[in-house]
Amino acid sequence: MANTVIGSTIVIDGEITGDEDLVILGTVKGQISLRENIVVERDGVVEANVETATITVHGSVTGDIQATDRAELRAECRVVGDIRAPRILIADGASFKGNVDMDG
Amino acid sequence: MAISTAPDAPCVIGNQITIRGTLVGEEDLLVEGRVEGAVTLAGHLTVATQGIVEANLDVDSVEVRGEVVGDISATRSITIHQGARVRGNISAPRVIVHDGAGFRGSVAMTVDLPEDLAKALARS
Repeated sequence: MANTVIGSTIVIDGEITGDEDLVILGTVKGQISLRENIVVERDGVVEANVETATITVHGSVTGDIQATDRAELRAECRVVGDIRAPRILIADGASFKGNVDMDG
Repeated sequence: MAISTAPDAPCVIGNQITIRGTLVGEEDLLVEGRVEGAVTLAGHLTVATQGIVEANLDVDSVEVRGEVVGDISATRSITIHQGARVRGNISAPRVIVHDGAGFRGSVAMTVDLPEDLAKALARS
């Protein structure tokens, strides 16, 4: 299945919706609504509210995250916002500020 | 679950993805899905057969195999392939329209007019 890749020099200001995996190496501002997997790479910057199935953050996310399956904050990521997901992983070395809700 | 994350992965908007808003960048971009809004790209834009772009485009060069509705301005070239559908005004030093392409709009190329014609236009 084809992935969507937002390259490192790309800046998107607006809304991304869809049904396939998304890899972010650049910058996305606004809103992301997917039913698949999102990976925010080390230099990726997301300033958006995110709705998805799973999200893996190596880079930076500012905004609320709502995942139906899993949210993973990897080492060296920077996340500011509230996270809602049944499974949430925060790795050693991750920076996170916000609320966590695993019930809802 | 593993998603390939090669650092030199080309920038792709997949066919299940819709982007509404502005997209700015300095690399080549392949659109297989849908982009609505505006695209400003210092690079080569490819609109794949199933790609739909409803946006004004400001790019280095663009190659359309799918559908574009909007004005296109390219610093190098605009290529409209067989089966592509383009509606809008296009401007570039080089414009290539292939047999079987659908296009509606105006074309502006930077052309060196014959001297007398250029003078006549300048006077009017």
